[in-house]
Amino acid sequence: MTRVGGWLAERQSTLMAYALTAALFIVGVIHSPGFASGSSIRQMLVFASFVGFAALGQTLVILAGGLDLSVPWLMAFGGVELSRLSASGTPAGLGVVIVIAIGVGIGLLNGVGATWMRVPPIVMTLAMGGLIQAYLLAVGQLSSSGDTVPSIAVGLASNRAGPVPVIAIVWLVIAIATGVLIGRTAFGRRVHATGENDLAARLSGIRVDRVRIVTYAISGAASAFGGIVLAGYVGTTYLEIGAPYLFTSIAAVVVGGASILGGRGTYWGTVAGALTLTVLSALLPLFHLNTADLEIVYGVVILLGVWASGGGRMLGGIRLRRAGPEGVRPGAQEGSDAAA
Amino acid sequence: MTTVTPPRIRPIPVSLRRGWSWSNIITAAILGALIAADLSIQPALGNLVQIGLLIETALPLVLLAVAQTFVVLVGGIDLSVGGVYVVTNAITVTWVGLHGGAHQWLLVVALGFGVAMGALNGLLVVRLGFQPFIATLGTWTIFNGIALTILPTDGGSPPPLLSNLLLDQVAGIPSSIVILAGIVVAWRLLRASRFGMRMYAVGADEERARLNGTPVRTVKLCVYVIAGLCAALAGIYAAGANASGTPTGGDAYILTSVAAVVIGGTSLRGGEGGVGMTVMGAMSLTLINDIVGAENLNTWVSVAAASALLLAMVIARTLIGAALARRRT
Amino acid sequence: MKGTPGLAVADMYKRFGAVRVLEGVTLRAGRGEVHAVLGENGAGKSTLMRILAGVIRADAGQVTLDGRPLSLSGPRDATAAGVRMVFQELSTIPQLTVAENLLYGRERTVLGLVRPRTRRRAARALLERFDLGRIDPDVPVAELGLGDRQLLEVVKALRDEPRVLILDEATSALSSTDSRWVLQQGRRAAGAGAVVLLVTHRLAEVREFADRITVLRAGVDVVSGAAGEIDDDALIAAMLGRRVERLYPERPAPGEEEAIRVSGLAAPGLPGPVDLIARRGEILGLGGLQGQGQRELLRALAGATPWTSGEVRLGGRDYEPRSPADALARRVAYVPEDRQREGLFLAQSVRRNMTAATLGQFVRGGLLDRRRENAAAREVAQTVGVAAARLGSRVSTMSGGNQQKVVLGKAILNRPAVLLLHDCTRGVDVGTKASIFALMTELAKAGTAILFYSSDLSELVHMCHRVAVVAEGRVAGHIDQAELSEDAILRLAVGHGAESKAVAA
Repeated sequence: MTRVGGWLAERQSTLMAYALTAALFIVGVIHSPGFASGSSIRQMLVFASFVGFAALGQTLVILAGGLDLSVPWLMAFGGVELSRLSASGTPAGLGVVIVIAIGVGIGLLNGVGATWMRVPPIVMTLAMGGLIQAYLLAVGQLSSSGDTVPSIAVGLASNRAGPVPVIAIVWLVIAIATGVLIGRTAFGRRVHATGENDLAARLSGIRVDRVRIVTYAISGAASAFGGIVLAGYVGTTYLEIGAPYLFTSIAAVVVGGASILGGRGTYWGTVAGALTLTVLSALLPLFHLNTADLEIVYGVVILLGVWASGGGRMLGGIRLRRAGPEGVRPGAQEGSDAAA
Repeated sequence: MTTVTPPRIRPIPVSLRRGWSWSNIITAAILGALIAADLSIQPALGNLVQIGLLIETALPLVLLAVAQTFVVLVGGIDLSVGGVYVVTNAITVTWVGLHGGAHQWLLVVALGFGVAMGALNGLLVVRLGFQPFIATLGTWTIFNGIALTILPTDGGSPPPLLSNLLLDQVAGIPSSIVILAGIVVAWRLLRASRFGMRMYAVGADEERARLNGTPVRTVKLCVYVIAGLCAALAGIYAAGANASGTPTGGDAYILTSVAAVVIGGTSLRGGEGGVGMTVMGAMSLTLINDIVGAENLNTWVSVAAASALLLAMVIARTLIGAALARRRT
Repeated sequence: MKGTPGLAVADMYKRFGAVRVLEGVTLRAGRGEVHAVLGENGAGKSTLMRILAGVIRADAGQVTLDGRPLSLSGPRDATAAGVRMVFQELSTIPQLTVAENLLYGRERTVLGLVRPRTRRRAARALLERFDLGRIDPDVPVAELGLGDRQLLEVVKALRDEPRVLILDEATSALSSTDSRWVLQQGRRAAGAGAVVLLVTHRLAEVREFADRITVLRAGVDVVSGAAGEIDDDALIAAMLGRRVERLYPERPAPGEEEAIRVSGLAAPGLPGPVDLIARRGEILGLGGLQGQGQRELLRALAGATPWTSGEVRLGGRDYEPRSPADALARRVAYVPEDRQREGLFLAQSVRRNMTAATLGQFVRGGLLDRRRENAAAREVAQTVGVAAARLGSRVSTMSGGNQQKVVLGKAILNRPAVLLLHDCTRGVDVGTKASIFALMTELAKAGTAILFYSSDLSELVHMCHRVAVVAEGRVAGHIDQAELSEDAILRLAVGHGAESKAVAA
């Protein structure tokens, strides 16, 4: 196989995902040329970046064989907590750092629960999300009024550098960094190995638990950050602000070609997934579909997209998992316990 | 010479024998504790009518958690139960407006939808090879859309006959209790059937089940259909009991149904647990809400308590299971 | 009733991806005949049997029984046609009870419901019929020992009269008494008119129970005839395809220095205490019957299982790994038993598999230095005998032998001080075996101490400087090279009473 041919084959699913994005975009442009206007593209980029941040951690967590259902709550937390800190006098920059640090802490708890405590990731992150939700509800009750979102967040979300939204640039930089992390570092390799076959990974000297804990920590940070930006854009914070992002973060990852079981995928694929979903959301209203039909088409396209990029399906015949032929589901990793 | 590979089996709880394993006991104990707590806070709860009302609020979650249990038992997960729920919910509350008095067809159509939606999930997973998580993620959205098409906003009203039936009594016992009992009985029958055993075999060890002649794909397909049916019932019931419908009310139930399943003790890996345990888990969650409401605490307390219970149950089971396993070797 | 047309397999082909397992196999076994199918691991025996049992589908070829073609599109078809197999991998579902397993698919139901009491009674009757009344039908099969599980497997296969009975390594974990019992059951089935296919590695079993023999090698039937007409040497020659001697290289002299000293080691599954010493450049064999603790010993030393007691000195310093990462840090490398499940990342390239255990050393400035990684991978590939052209291929496309080489490559990339090998020649073709043996010798020459567990006694005899025989979780004795023979190993392996009871899991 030629080198170029090989390179293409390896990235086939990512390329498919971008092809899907492009195809949808073209459909939009054909339908109404305004689709390709500056403001239209800008808005899509901004929205896609929100998905992108929510899905960044999700990508890593899923790659390593887990799942993070606490993303939407972390996002809500990001905005709420930053606003609270600002309202009580914390300088904005420090506030951002603190919030992200707490996000990392929550992620660490998720990771520890899902690895050392052997709680299935679905359950651990679900419970953690619930606890964050409880905190947000309590805080909402106790504070006097909805705190305003500090200008740092608003600026981040709305400023532009020339025609390009700042947040898109930030996203691009982070995407490049994440791509390097996943593709060019030992950590990235370890993540892939852990997700594909954690037993073999452990026996190859990879500290599987640590790898997974780090992925959850990164997810905590990225989601908290995403929440800050989201709050800045929306201009206010509320409990359910992150709710749509649970679904979309996972969808972006699998539409981008990653396997929900782990071991396969890149963040660039997720970026394509995020773009696809955003373009799709912008596209559908053009056809005068009501909310109901929108949902239906959305779901169908997700399934098609996943199918096209091979993201949601078993790699035909190849047993990627150890420990027998049980039907494996994502986030139900069995951990590399010594008894395995 | 060759070796025999010791089969790679998953660790099993100390006793999988039929009857009460320690896992069941824990679930029952927690439920018992919550019942006791609720009763001590609201002694008025101790009569059939009040219990009936409590179960009435619990039944939608119970039914959805039952649906989830089936799918989890064969090693899958169904994120679309909330979607099926809102579809049949919507059908039920718009029926009278569209079809007047042909009530008998309402059940047929609504349940038919449930079957069809379950079958769709099953086909995606079994025939097209989608991961259950992804397939049901997609169908969840699609079903939500269908529900919105049928019922664009909250409202509608179910056939009065249905509401009366569901809110009334049967031989002096509130219907909700009868229905709950019916669920448990139906489950025990299914469990004792050949199909029930096949389900557990497929969930425990799919490949070996296949070696033993089990039509694994058919079993899974049937399981998804059953789940669709149960979720459909949930939607119909909620419509009847609340005398109104909502096209967006399903989302919150989805992850809660998973929580109920896990609290009850059914393993997400499959092959272990059952509907009886899930019912206990779902009732536990309902009781937490009831207690929090009775004590006039903030909502956040019930969310925190539910999450904490979820974690506690899983961790406790892991620790006890490990301790017992160590005692055996 | 010999001679009546029985089972006929014609021109069977099967490949898994790029791996061609069956290349035109033809086989004829008459009714009432016990037909032994012999061959090395990887020759295709198991694949052929699984096709006959309907577990997998052939790519091409016909199977007829009594002249009529058999449709074998699934296990149920095969069962309906009267084919019963005693699975090497054991088909009893561990989480279900004995009764549930034995009656699986044939429970009597009342109104669709299974009556547990009826089932239990039927199970008990079945067990009694086979003299296994001591097994409690209500016990989950997972709680039984491996030997009992194998016996159950036989009961399952014989519960009604099969027309074709396949015994696939049905005695590997059994004591000789139980083994004979199983084979006698096979003989009895043949007497009742069944076609009995006997897949085994034990030539003694073949001599005693088989009427005819077919030898498979590299996916083709190479020899077929009456058992009395082919002697053992001819059989072995047919299986190996070459003379035994050229398989094994010359043993280099081991060093004097101690590489690893194990004292009083015990771990889950290894009651111990285990004491042994391996010197630098020494190939120390681990012998003994299957399931005596060899696996647990290797895993304990590899850091994969925690120890309950014991002290190990490695290169003069204390060694107490709490994870395989710790072991690798001290240059103790482990080649696990199940290469696909435990040793490989099937969806990744050969290159990535080989460097998976040593990623840390290719890091330059936080990033992986791909050029150094590729160079190292290429070097290792050459050492183990994998073509450089295949470095970019997915491991899943490679044959068993090549896959084993990849796992070996991963383990030896850094010239380990101690190499732990668990049955690394299982399911591997002869050519690859020879290169693996050559590799082991090379490593020993360069100073690596090798703990070599093989279930093949002749390998131990030809490759090792010394053999430590493991029985019931302890070292029963050591045999030096001068006194090393298959007999000697067996005598030590069996001498500790492992003979009288079934092997415990």
